[in-house]
Amino acid sequence: MASHLLALVVFSVLASVVFATLLRDDRKSRVRFALMTVGAFVLSAVVVGWLMYPFPS
Amino acid sequence: MDRERIIVGERRAAAAIPACLFAWLLPGAGHLYLGRIGKGLVFLGAIGALFVLGVIMDAGLQMHLGFDDPLALLRSLAQMALGVPYFLARALGFEAGRVTSVTYEYGNTFTEVGGLLNVLVILDAYDVAVGRKR
Repeated sequence: MASHLLALVVFSVLASVVFATLLRDDRKSRVRFALMTVGAFVLSAVVVGWLMYPFPS
Repeated sequence: MDRERIIVGERRAAAAIPACLFAWLLPGAGHLYLGRIGKGLVFLGAIGALFVLGVIMDAGLQMHLGFDDPLALLRSLAQMALGVPYFLARALGFEAGRVTSVTYEYGNTFTEVGGLLNVLVILDAYDVAVGRKR
C-alpha cells in the first residue's frame, strides 16, 4: 500500500468503525458517527498536510 | 430482592475478569465471550485488519521494555495490547519489519493504533460484563 491517501482512508475507516461501535448503540447513529469520523480524519490530515507544506522536512 | 441483586452483581463481576483477559488475547473475543457477537466480530475485523495491514506494511514489532528509550517502550506496550496476534507475528519472523520500506512508519502506526484501540475495547468489555453498557 504505497499510496499515502489510500493508507489514510483505510486507517480512517477502520479506526472510525471501532470508535462508532464503542461510542454509539444503534445502527443508524453508528453509521452516521462513523461517516463523520472518517470525514474528520481525512479532512484534518489533508489540512494539516497543506499547513506543513511550506516548512522544510 | 437485594440478595438477587447481589448474586447478579457477583456473577457479572466474575465474568469481567475472563472477558477482559479474552479481549486482550484476541481483539473482540471478550465481547464474543459475553454474547455480544456483532460487536465482537466488528472489533475482531477492524482491529485485526489494522494489525495485518500494519505487518504487511513492514511494521517493526520489536519488544522494547527498557526505560532508556521511553517512546520505544510506549510503542511496544501499545503493540503488545493486541495480544496473541502480536506474539504470533513475532514468532513467525515479522519482528524486525523493514526500516527501509516506504510504508514502515505507516505499518508502525497501524499496529500501534490497533493496540491502543484494543485497550478501549478491553475497557468496553469490562463495562459490558459489569452491566454498565449493553
